[in-house]
Amino acid sequence: MSFNESQSQDIEGATTAIQSQPDSKTRRYDRQLRLWAATGQSALESARVLVIGASATATSILKNLVLPGIGHFTLLDHATVSPADAGNNFFLQGTTSIGRNRAEEAVRLLSELNDNVDACADTRNIADVLASDPSYFLGFSLIITHNLSPVLLTRLADLLWENPSSTPLIPVRSAGFLADFFVQFHTHEIIESHSETSPSLRIDKPFPALLQAARALDFDTMDSTDHGHIPYVYLLVRTLDDWKATHNGLPPQTHADKQNFKSILAAQKRTPDQENFEEAIAQAYRAWTPTVVRPHLVELFNDVTLPSTPFGHLLAALRSFSERPPHVLPLSATLPDMKSDTESYVRLQNLYRAQAAEEREQFRALLPVPLENELVELFVKNAHGVQLLRGARYGALDTAPAKLIMYLDNLTRETATHLALSAWMHSELREHVLTLIPGTELGKKEFSDAFGEIVRAPAADLPNVAAFLGGMVAQESIKMITKQYIPINGYCVVDLVDTWTGVLES
Amino acid sequence: MAPFDLSSPMSRSFHARAILGPKLHDQLPNLKVLIVGAGGIGCELLKNVVLAGFGQITLLDLDTIDLSNLNRQFLFRKKDVKQSKAIVAARTASAFNPNVQIKPIHGDVKDPQFDLAWFKGFDVVLNALDNLDARRHVNKMCMAGNIPLVESGTAGYLGQVQPLLKDRTECFDCIPKPTPKNFPVCTIRSTPTQPIHCIVWAKSYLMPQLFGEDEDSTSELDEAEKQGENAQEVANLRREAQAFKSVRAALRSKDKDTSSSAAKMAFQKVFYHDILNLLSMEDMWRFRDKPVPLDFNLIQSDQFILRGQVTSAIDISADSIPRPANEVRGLDGRPNGSPVGSNGSGPSSSTKSGHGLKDQRSLTLRDNLALFALGTERLAARLTTGKEETILFDKDDDDTLDFVTAAANLRSAAYGIPGKSRWEVKEMAGNIIPAIATTNAIISGLIVLQALHLLREAFDSLRNVHAQFKPSAPLSAVKLSLPNPRCGVCRDAYAFLQCDPSRVTLAEVLEDFDDNLHRTLESLNVTKGKFLSIADEDGELEVITLPSARYRESNHPIDGPPMILPDPLPEPGQRVKSITPRPSTPPSMLPRIQKRPAPDGMDEAQPAKRARIAASSNSSPRTSRRLEEDGLILIDGDESVDEDIVVID
Ligand SMILES: [Zn+2]
Repeated sequence: MSFNESQSQDIEGATTAIQSQPDSKTRRYDRQLRLWAATGQSALESARVLVIGASATATSILKNLVLPGIGHFTLLDHATVSPADAGNNFFLQGTTSIGRNRAEEAVRLLSELNDNVDACADTRNIADVLASDPSYFLGFSLIITHNLSPVLLTRLADLLWENPSSTPLIPVRSAGFLADFFVQFHTHEIIESHSETSPSLRIDKPFPALLQAARALDFDTMDSTDHGHIPYVYLLVRTLDDWKATHNGLPPQTHADKQNFKSILAAQKRTPDQENFEEAIAQAYRAWTPTVVRPHLVELFNDVTLPSTPFGHLLAALRSFSERPPHVLPLSATLPDMKSDTESYVRLQNLYRAQAAEEREQFRALLPVPLENELVELFVKNAHGVQLLRGARYGALDTAPAKLIMYLDNLTRETATHLALSAWMHSELREHVLTLIPGTELGKKEFSDAFGEIVRAPAADLPNVAAFLGGMVAQESIKMITKQYIPINGYCVVDLVDTWTGVLES
Repeated sequence: MAPFDLSSPMSRSFHARAILGPKLHDQLPNLKVLIVGAGGIGCELLKNVVLAGFGQITLLDLDTIDLSNLNRQFLFRKKDVKQSKAIVAARTASAFNPNVQIKPIHGDVKDPQFDLAWFKGFDVVLNALDNLDARRHVNKMCMAGNIPLVESGTAGYLGQVQPLLKDRTECFDCIPKPTPKNFPVCTIRSTPTQPIHCIVWAKSYLMPQLFGEDEDSTSELDEAEKQGENAQEVANLRREAQAFKSVRAALRSKDKDTSSSAAKMAFQKVFYHDILNLLSMEDMWRFRDKPVPLDFNLIQSDQFILRGQVTSAIDISADSIPRPANEVRGLDGRPNGSPVGSNGSGPSSSTKSGHGLKDQRSLTLRDNLALFALGTERLAARLTTGKEETILFDKDDDDTLDFVTAAANLRSAAYGIPGKSRWEVKEMAGNIIPAIATTNAIISGLIVLQALHLLREAFDSLRNVHAQFKPSAPLSAVKLSLPNPRCGVCRDAYAFLQCDPSRVTLAEVLEDFDDNLHRTLESLNVTKGKFLSIADEDGELEVITLPSARYRESNHPIDGPPMILPDPLPEPGQRVKSITPRPSTPPSMLPRIQKRPAPDGMDEAQPAKRARIAASSNSSPRTSRRLEEDGLILIDGDESVDEDIVVID
């Protein structure tokens, strides 16, 4: 805060320093920054994305990455623009583009969408690049393919899977109204998962300053205004403390206990509809819901193969932290809104902040290697929702007949559609599916629907399906790049005849 | 890629034809589609509609382009900022396929020129709107004209697409939509308790008082008094309003000395004198925290004392170093030089990183004072140069945003309420909903697919689709519900009333009703584009709604009949008495208006039933509720009528 330094700035000086007008980049990205914040935006701006094939679907995906401002993209395609391309790909210059290279034409139009994005057209044949220059692919942070032939796709997926840097790959397949896509990655670290559950207030395990503050309140001498403004956190902590004193140190256990606990709260009201007590009763579950480390974190802590990345070190420190009493995660400094006067609320907030700051320092001391303050703070703030996802190799599902058979029973239309897409590039659809799951009965309606659609419109890249996929696949790409939110785990299968999506987990 | 490279000589429409089938595909060039809205969804939609092969597209939007649109509205470039969205979008999309005719209209869909006759010129209407009012209006027009409509909306990662067709599906208003929250006037004007109260005050009260039209804003207070608000308090607010005159004059003064001190004058009035004034009403503060009058000079020199704390610049912020509980007195335990900004809410994870997010930082009390002075001076300068006569809040107008941010934060400080950053104020004051390209792409792809189902009359394929951003189920799609039998919009019978509203009298429309009714429709406010509703007061019959429109024949003679009623006249349906089970088969697609003998009710030969006549340009879920909401006026003889709704005896 530069303002603290000089005491006697006059108003002119102050106003020049306060020019808070955001720059044009902030203005351009205003609406998305409200979703993924500067951390997400900065990740996007350093991303290098390779898209293979300049189809309508591929350019739709790219459009949705160029607009929010990825750092760089390369479009790789050696084909020339056909009249059909000209009719369904908005990012070609109509008939003028016919006969020219698809990648070059599309890159020119896509670049116009955002000056901040660095773009490049690569007119080589992917088959040649895979054969002669495999390391080329490792220079990207994300690779997306659309309707790449199975042979080349497998080669590319294997190449990326086997390399330790493991660039994520999103293969997209679409035929008429049907489509599927998959995200291949080894591990995916998420700090900002935007988890919908909020961190614990530790009502059940109050830290000493909180318990002391709750105990110090003298309800009897309070006037009715003050009594009506006691934050429910104090009410719960204090009532629970009293309860434990007469119940062998245990919180309410049975349904009867819990009802009893609520009536103790209700009995302290001075007026029948005193809001802060109503809140305490509504939040009473916090008194008997133990603050514990969530199962997904316990699972991670038990994982002996934590990566030796900063994220891995942070997780290790989190594990050590939670191994000590009271076996919780570092406290969050954020308080929910509650009935209170400003003074009491701020006082309570400061108690939480003080404790959170102290625990953050304890956490920092447990780190095996020192890390940036900003990262530590971000991690601690989001600790209850951090995730380490482990992905699968592309195509693994198609070589697991037992799993396919199970899915075919439970997720019939998704599985049938996925298999039809897998078989599509082979001349005999049904025979190919039978090679994947020998002996399967293909008489189901779901199969005939899916096969029918693929036979009807084998390579048709329908503009509105392309638009839809463009949004869906770009969204998953943004999740992977920003490392925020949980990506779809497995194959996302799409049918826009009947309008549904489904997920086949890998 | 070779096997998929379709390089054989094929027409541009090969793909579309293969998918849609030759029948629908051949119709597309002749189908007339209306897209309402050229924003995030609208741009995507226009592209998709062009690519799908529609040949005659009308694109309507009221807005101009802002820089913050460019992260998703891809038909616009930086050079297009401030131009009409509809016109620029149409120009950009036309370049893709010159054979498609795109007619842009820079206008308001609620404008009377877009009456039912105009709507009926379209085969399908696609909504890409961002406000409830316009959505409801288009819904009503499409229900009245029996035009297929696809409704849509997005908010962040969430989105929805809903195909609507009269008698076949629910309409947009079959399920009531929540109305925006309103705050009691006294909460805003004298007893705020939350940041939003102070923001609303700065945006909707202080801005108009200082920079808006010079009008007596007493009607709001009259209303408050009627509602039983504290009379003393209201009287005080009245005096307060009077005192704005001198500040307004100073802000508009061409005399440099006067104008440069205007900001301070405004500050003194609203943050010092008005608060002192409020404090004089002891009763008001018996159960509330008292506000503290702010001192301009002391804040400026960092010597201001707020709630018992001498707030010289102590170099800590409440965020990093907590203070002992007994020393902290509300917000104001913080020094002037430490942030008043909020913590914990909003994208605070981003406040620490650079990336030019200057407006996300918290502002100190002195920052806010400086910003208030700066904002006021800049706005005053705009008034004195004569370019603008009035300035209202616009979230994309930086001067107004600065002013509102600073004024709201200063008021918050006076009342012990946490402040907000400029970024947060923008969101709260501007009702900003996060918007991204991906969701818009998903939704607009689905809109066209649903529109094609409607046009193919493949009613079984219609779905109400939600993009829900769940990794396990990205979309949820459900079959459509039938109309709500009690809906006041889509259960009405509609009949076209072609007329000259300046000549037609109500009596002529309702020949056999009370013969006093010689008011023209125009004087009853039933003008072009409005609806005339005839309701059965006994509530047994459905409402008949007559959308008033221009003559279909453009050469209707000036002395020709002033109105042309539909032949046959519509019959109101029997009203559903209570919740009845929905029919298991969808109702017939035939228009509900059929010739049949009227057993009772609105038949002309019958003795007059008491009928309610409602003229409205908007709609609401239940007819009875609609009438009540709009306010019923009973007319007695020839007394003047200035409301939209009349009841005839
Ligand atoms: Zn309805």
